Amino acid sequence: MTASRILIVDDEELIVKLLARSLKSDGYETLSAYSGQQGLEVFKSESPDIVITDIKMPGMDGLELLQKIKEIDPEKEVIIVTGHGDIDSTITALQYGASDFINKPVRDEALAIALERAKTKITLRKKLKDYTTNLEIKIAEATEEIRRKSDFQKLLIRSSHDAIVAFNNEWKVVIYNPEAVRIFGEAAKDVRNKMTIYELYTPKIAKVFKSQFRNEKDRKMLPWKENMIKTKDGRQIPVRYTSDTLIENGQFMGTVNFFQDLTEIKRLEKELVQSERMAAVGQTVSGLAHYVKNILVGLKGGSYVVDIGIQKNDTEKLKTGWETIKKNIKRAADLTQDLLTYSKQREPEIETCSPNGIVDELIELLKDFAFSKSIRLTKELDADIGEILADPKTIHHSLLNIINNAIDACIEDENVSKQHEVAVKTYMDGGNMICFEVRDNGCGMDDNTRKQLFTPMFSSKGGKGTGLGLLVTGKLIEEHKGSIDIETIPGKGSTFRIKLPYETAKALDIN
Amino acid sequence: MMSKKVLVVDDDPDVRSFVLTVLDENRYIPLVAQDGVEGFEMIEKDPPDLVILDVLMPRGSGIRLYHKMKTSDKYKRIPIIMFTGIALKSFLKSQKVLDEFKGMEVPEPEIYLEKPVDPEELAAAVKKQIG
Repeated sequence: MTASRILIVDDEELIVKLLARSLKSDGYETLSAYSGQQGLEVFKSESPDIVITDIKMPGMDGLELLQKIKEIDPEKEVIIVTGHGDIDSTITALQYGASDFINKPVRDEALAIALERAKTKITLRKKLKDYTTNLEIKIAEATEEIRRKSDFQKLLIRSSHDAIVAFNNEWKVVIYNPEAVRIFGEAAKDVRNKMTIYELYTPKIAKVFKSQFRNEKDRKMLPWKENMIKTKDGRQIPVRYTSDTLIENGQFMGTVNFFQDLTEIKRLEKELVQSERMAAVGQTVSGLAHYVKNILVGLKGGSYVVDIGIQKNDTEKLKTGWETIKKNIKRAADLTQDLLTYSKQREPEIETCSPNGIVDELIELLKDFAFSKSIRLTKELDADIGEILADPKTIHHSLLNIINNAIDACIEDENVSKQHEVAVKTYMDGGNMICFEVRDNGCGMDDNTRKQLFTPMFSSKGGKGTGLGLLVTGKLIEEHKGSIDIETIPGKGSTFRIKLPYETAKALDIN
Repeated sequence: MMSKKVLVVDDDPDVRSFVLTVLDENRYIPLVAQDGVEGFEMIEKDPPDLVILDVLMPRGSGIRLYHKMKTSDKYKRIPIIMFTGIALKSFLKSQKVLDEFKGMEVPEPEIYLEKPVDPEELAAAVKKQIG
């Protein structure tokens, strides 16, 4: 520390001068006064660090000076110089707050020790003061930071697009932000610190939040849920909400709930569904138009050939043209039938029938066509399947469609070196399911085609398919409480499996 | 004058019999193929004066046969009438994809007819190409 300034007060001038000289040589700056009164004045004007004063002085004595100094500044160090046997005064001086005393005659060592002590005290006091001041600054800064943070958080909560509602541990609302006002319709002043969870929420939602965990261990955010909220004015608002429990030092402090208004999202969703539906209708209509156009092509072409046949009296031409026309009339009839089947609910007509018999019939029907395309059409029928109770129309229609598809898949196949084959198989699956399997080694399907198989009017056959075949098949099987599954590998072929529940005809006879 | 040979490539027998009749009526020699692969074999065996080509067929689509012919020095001068249910826009689009895929550019077809077509219209198109 810098050299202390010392004020020496004594009515004996000589002693003042001696002490001043001694202290100056030790590096102190000294001030002198020769009476208590003068000492006080110098003290007031110069504010020295340490005062050394004699006790016995005429007028204001050392004790009085000590008291006055301590009144002005209790932190100043005052060393009292006493005469021999003046114990009472010494004790009084110490009670008044003197930092030390030395006896007359003043010896240098005693003075040095007293001054050292005084200086240490000053240093300590200064340190303490600095520290305290620092602490005050730090506390002020921290307070400011907390205030800023709290303001920021308040602002965050205020401006959040989520409605935020928090409850204390007595389930009273403590936070209720403007978005919450918008959703619930209750004014903030009527809710905050007034309403309880049951007054603000419907019982159902309140229950969800209240039943949440109450300890730190199983604490997790509630998964987002959706529900309707009834506003004050009776409107229904779709929301999605979640909640978190507020826990401090393992203690339940309350809960905070977040709500998001889904009105706009729901509206957009609806619009999207609508536009997708429109697109599907468009696709359906265009697919249908395409197919009808193809029928028209056939009819026009056929009638032209017939015209030529009539003109030339050419029976061959007449036959060809007429065949074309008949074939396309059938296509139109089939299309109409498919559309009708697809568009209306149909109950399966359960009757006694022979599945193997139906397969035999279909193979007979298609074998010439398959043969003309060099495709082997084979069957492997489980002889144990006798007569069963099922809808023969469903079986006939579905199998015809799928076998035809299998033949087409062979025709479409680019690999001409393959011996193409379509194999139809029947077998029992468990006690009450009959399974029809149609396996081909044709072109197979890629993922995209596979996925769209049951999409209305989707056809992988260009204009030659209605895009209704499998759709109708799927519907018939579904109405029969059966199932259809498909395995396919592009370039290798496909297997379609139809499973239908049935009862044996025998069971019926017994009944 | 010697009659000109016209190859019809279409998988639909109704279309074949119709086009055949039109060609016969107009004194051309009709040849038929059921798909793109067979069509190209016939072109190689006996190059026709004109090809009437369907787009969507099993085994070597019309798009591919068209591309194959137009990029072959030997056959690119044979005129082609595209005769199909596919709109021209879709055809050109798939043609472009094929161009990009093979890094070549083929010209647009000489004549593109969208089914259904009147016999007179078809006959006129053929006549325009090869007289």
